Amino acid sequence: MSWEKVELLRAASYLGAGISIGFGAIGAGIGEGIAAGEANHALSYRPRFSSEILTTMLVGQAIAESASIFALVIAMLLLFGSVESKPLVTVWAYIGAGLSMGISAIGSGIGTGMPVAGACKGIVRQPSAQSQITSLMLVGSGVAQSTSVYGFLIALLLLFKPLPDVTTFASAGALLGAGFAMGFGGIGPGIGEGIAAGYAVEGLARNPELTTVMTRTMLVGQAVAESTGIYSLVVSLLLILNV
Amino acid sequence: MKELGKIWTWVLDVGGYHLVFNVSTIIMTLIVMGFLILFAHLATKNKSLIPSTPQIIGELFVANFWKLTVDALGEDMAKTYFPLICALFMFLWCCNVMGIIPGLEEPTKDLNTPLGLGIMGFVIAHYAGIKTKGFKKYIKEYFEPIFFMMPLNVVGELAKVVSISFRLYGNIMGGSIIILVVSYLVYDVIIPPLLYGFFGLFVGTVQAFVFTMLTLVYISVQVR
Repeated sequence: MSWEKVELLRAASYLGAGISIGFGAIGAGIGEGIAAGEANHALSYRPRFSSEILTTMLVGQAIAESASIFALVIAMLLLFGSVESKPLVTVWAYIGAGLSMGISAIGSGIGTGMPVAGACKGIVRQPSAQSQITSLMLVGSGVAQSTSVYGFLIALLLLFKPLPDVTTFASAGALLGAGFAMGFGGIGPGIGEGIAAGYAVEGLARNPELTTVMTRTMLVGQAVAESTGIYSLVVSLLLILNV
Repeated sequence: MKELGKIWTWVLDVGGYHLVFNVSTIIMTLIVMGFLILFAHLATKNKSLIPSTPQIIGELFVANFWKLTVDALGEDMAKTYFPLICALFMFLWCCNVMGIIPGLEEPTKDLNTPLGLGIMGFVIAHYAGIKTKGFKKYIKEYFEPIFFMMPLNVVGELAKVVSISFRLYGNIMGGSIIILVVSYLVYDVIIPPLLYGFFGLFVGTVQAFVFTMLTLVYISVQVR
């Protein structure tokens, strides 16, 4: 069986699309489930606030969804993008893009669900502080998403960067390695930032006067938790630039 | 499916420089700006105790964002930064939502708009930090906890710009690509309007708010 170049590229783009959305769907599913579970649990304490809890849960789930929406976008770009006139080394870039986006979406998906769960718990405890709780939840889950945003950035770079015509083992390894670095590097920080935001939102409901301090502490903590994700981003960028 | 992620550009060569204008982005941004100026004029034209509809909407924006800004920055600084925050949200909301009107496109779909706004937020936050803390203390923070962490601290700050702008860009561009592909797959029957409702109105509003709040808290972390 002889492989034409275009066919090989097509195969790689399909494989990358599958990896991207296959892994990318894991995290958001778990995260949204955590949020929905906590919302139901919270509802049983104070059924009177069911509409507030439902709104918070849906808004939060929409954010938790965006990690897998990024993965869906990368999958669609891989599925429907044209592969003619690309050099052969792009095969590895396509697989790398799928890995980078798909795996990094796992952590962010799970992480973004946690502040939403905390917010549902918090609204039951302190319904008068709903607006502060919701805005802290949005900030916290937005930040928890950043590693999947980095994964998205690396995937876009891998898809659209002009690549050399000559295929070497080194360039293939670098493209694949960039995908692995950002993908696996995104799992931990995503979940970690989610844990930080979840406790911050829950704590805010206990003591709404502390909004300012709590927001700052949460952000500083999240920035530290994110630093390992930034190491991955730096390494991925260096690998891509070296090709 | 060739038009995925394509932007209508206009190339101009002036004095040896190769200038590329994203025409649709510029036009759509101008439309949003015109709309906001018109809205501001209508909202403040006949100020009265019994408010008109534009005045109510304007007061709604101002009251809510004033509270959020005071929570984050305190009363004094809020007076300086509140107009920025409120205007940023209104601009971004119009930008994200205008895609549901046929013929119009979201300017935020083009990476240049979110990146420009992200860099603006970054510059303002660091300016505010230098102004309140003084240059020496501001620089010293980069060398914490140990001096050789400096490069990573700098990268961490720059990564904030990347994450804030790519989050908005990815959500809006992703939404429009998904709408395009799904419309193509289902021959424009039934599903696309629902998707416009979700991605245009719902995700657009949430992401505009997240972008604004993150800009606000980045300023608040710097001035601490």
